Amino acid sequence: MTNYTISIFTTNTVGLLNRITIVFTRRRLNIESLTVCETERKGVSRFTIVLKSETREQVEKLVRQIRKIVDVLAVYGYLNEDIVYHETALFKVSTPLGGPQLDIERVNKDFNAWVVHWGADYVIIEKSGTEAEIMEFYHYIKPQGILEFVRSGRISVSKEEKGLVEYLPEEGVWEIA
Amino acid sequence: MAHQKQTAAEVLEEASQRTVTGAHALMLSLLAEGVDTLFGYPGGAIMPTYDALYDYRDVLRHILVRHEQGAGHAAQGYARLQNKAGVALVTSGPGATNLMTPICDALLDSTPMVCIVGQVYNKLLGTDAFQEADVIGMTMPITKWNYQITSADEVPEILAKAFYIAQTGRPGPVVLDFTRTAQMELMTRPFSYQKCETMVSYHPRTVPKDDQIRAAAELINKAKKPYILAGHGILISQAEAELKAFAEKSGIPVATTLLGMSAIDADHPNYVGWLGMHGNYGTNVLTNECDVLIAIGMRFDDRVTGDLSQYARQAKVVHIEIDPAEIDKNVKATAPVVGDAKEALKALLPLIDEKSHPEWRDEFRKYDVIEEEKITRRTLFHDGEHIKMGEAVALLSELTKGEAVTVTDVGQHQMIANRYYRFKKHNSIVTSGGAGTMGFALPAALGAKVGAPDRQVVAIIGDGGFQMTLQELATIWQENLNVKILILNNNFLGMVRQWQQLFFDNRYSFVDIKNPDFVTIAKGFHIEGHTCRERGELRASLEKMLNHDGAYLLEVICEKEENVFPMVPAGQAVDKIRLE
Repeated sequence: MTNYTISIFTTNTVGLLNRITIVFTRRRLNIESLTVCETERKGVSRFTIVLKSETREQVEKLVRQIRKIVDVLAVYGYLNEDIVYHETALFKVSTPLGGPQLDIERVNKDFNAWVVHWGADYVIIEKSGTEAEIMEFYHYIKPQGILEFVRSGRISVSKEEKGLVEYLPEEGVWEIA
Repeated sequence: MAHQKQTAAEVLEEASQRTVTGAHALMLSLLAEGVDTLFGYPGGAIMPTYDALYDYRDVLRHILVRHEQGAGHAAQGYARLQNKAGVALVTSGPGATNLMTPICDALLDSTPMVCIVGQVYNKLLGTDAFQEADVIGMTMPITKWNYQITSADEVPEILAKAFYIAQTGRPGPVVLDFTRTAQMELMTRPFSYQKCETMVSYHPRTVPKDDQIRAAAELINKAKKPYILAGHGILISQAEAELKAFAEKSGIPVATTLLGMSAIDADHPNYVGWLGMHGNYGTNVLTNECDVLIAIGMRFDDRVTGDLSQYARQAKVVHIEIDPAEIDKNVKATAPVVGDAKEALKALLPLIDEKSHPEWRDEFRKYDVIEEEKITRRTLFHDGEHIKMGEAVALLSELTKGEAVTVTDVGQHQMIANRYYRFKKHNSIVTSGGAGTMGFALPAALGAKVGAPDRQVVAIIGDGGFQMTLQELATIWQENLNVKILILNNNFLGMVRQWQQLFFDNRYSFVDIKNPDFVTIAKGFHIEGHTCRERGELRASLEKMLNHDGAYLLEVICEKEENVFPMVPAGQAVDKIRLE
């Protein structure tokens, strides 16, 4: 199974998320993560969807089906090496009196993670990076006692030097990177 | 307004100086789109729109169906004959859910349709109000586009978009969910209508790219055994003349899909028959022998391809198709051409070498001889006691000179109708292909007749399917529509029975159908009818039906356990087609 990241640019329309997920549901494809936000252009939304697939062909067909939805402006599919991508995670970590001490220096220097909130007997740490980096930190911090853990969906931009204007593609043409 | 008859243009002109409600804005928008016919059924949530419609009854013909499914299929039949969107108008909740089957059917068979559905007041949305249904949610996967209109001001722009989306590119159904609030409130500005000609987020390609055309032409010119598969796209883009010119210049044999029937004259020398599960022998077998397959306006449905892993593996494929999502979906295209069939054929024609491929075309004839002997002759010339379905259709074809519009339902009779009707006139088939909707034919036929009042429209229906929507006989009577209804009655749900016989070990599970007296039923709806039981009176019965002034129902009692052959068993290779 390979990870694919699909970037979908749409007009900001009610119900569009549903329309896009229907394309996945019908083909029994699982969405690994999903992030939606407005782009630098007002009224244009950007969906970033990560999925795992056995074949590139399946992803290409999926992208064409999404492209077909009225109100979808452009769809691009990428392999991991074609994009810069990040996720963010928040860890609520237990720090009771007398418990194991948190090595803040290691957290900062080795893991590039930051304490964003100090509670009486816990801290909240923010860690950004790839899924692998976040999980590495997860395993490091686990013995400390994780009270809560949440990870965001992936956000990504392609490594090509293209602005959004160029993303409005010609119909019928689509390639992975 | 209703006192003296006005033209649509006068009504529109007058409206531009007034502030109107959303419901009136809808009527005016329909007029501005050139709509003059609606198929509908009133009810609570759509009442403000029906109230407005009363004022426009001189310029908008409303056909009152007997069930919302009928409105949808009638709009489909109308759309196919008119080559523009059919309009259905129904109420919320059950009115809308009854329309689901036609919407799904229209999506699969690329039929332009604009469905206007009533919805509860804005403030009641999402509260499980009386006759509230989540129509937007329900129709999302079966529409080309849908939209909930919640304010009167939106009406003109949304209607313009709806017609543009439904009718351009690959046509399809659009649903507009029209809240009572939006129907009743006044627009805040005078009504004005601008037809939609382009959208940022939807731009279908009509004219194909030069490089794609050149690549296709090169492949076609090099081919030794090229083969054209002509689909529904030919009818939709009205590319019949271009197809003919292309076939004649290139000498390439042409087969049609079920929905592509009548794309080319049945007697044209290049025509080799139809494709798919119950298509002809040679057309299926030789798919696996051609070297270049030229698919035009078709989507390689599984009923055409059978087992994909054994479908035309030897062939290079030119796929001309307006919907880019269809390219490579089922069959990998060597040379894809994204665009309208008519534009693509026009662009290809000057680049194509003049050829005749006599030996290759003869191969089809060899298979024809076998099929003729094993199937056709045994159907049309036999001394069995019972009438075969094919006999009735072949005779109908002869008596109508192949110029009728045939509207078929789904099942054995549908396959037989397309097998034995010799289409001489373009755009003459209305059938439910992709969805396979039983009950389609009767309402679709009445819509087709409204769309083509000058043509002979014959609904060919099985005894099972007829009983699914027979209430539309009332609509036919009320609207005085001259629709001919030919019921091929074998007292079985025949296609399922055939499969049970062939693939389920003769276990006839609930296919034995006890039928009512169809002629008496027709009489109850004030429609003349007759039952034909003997071969000797078949011709006279058909003649009487065709010559009758007005709607007529002819029931032909057919052989009970006749099977439709040839047949590619589901999921098998096209060259494993069975003749018996």
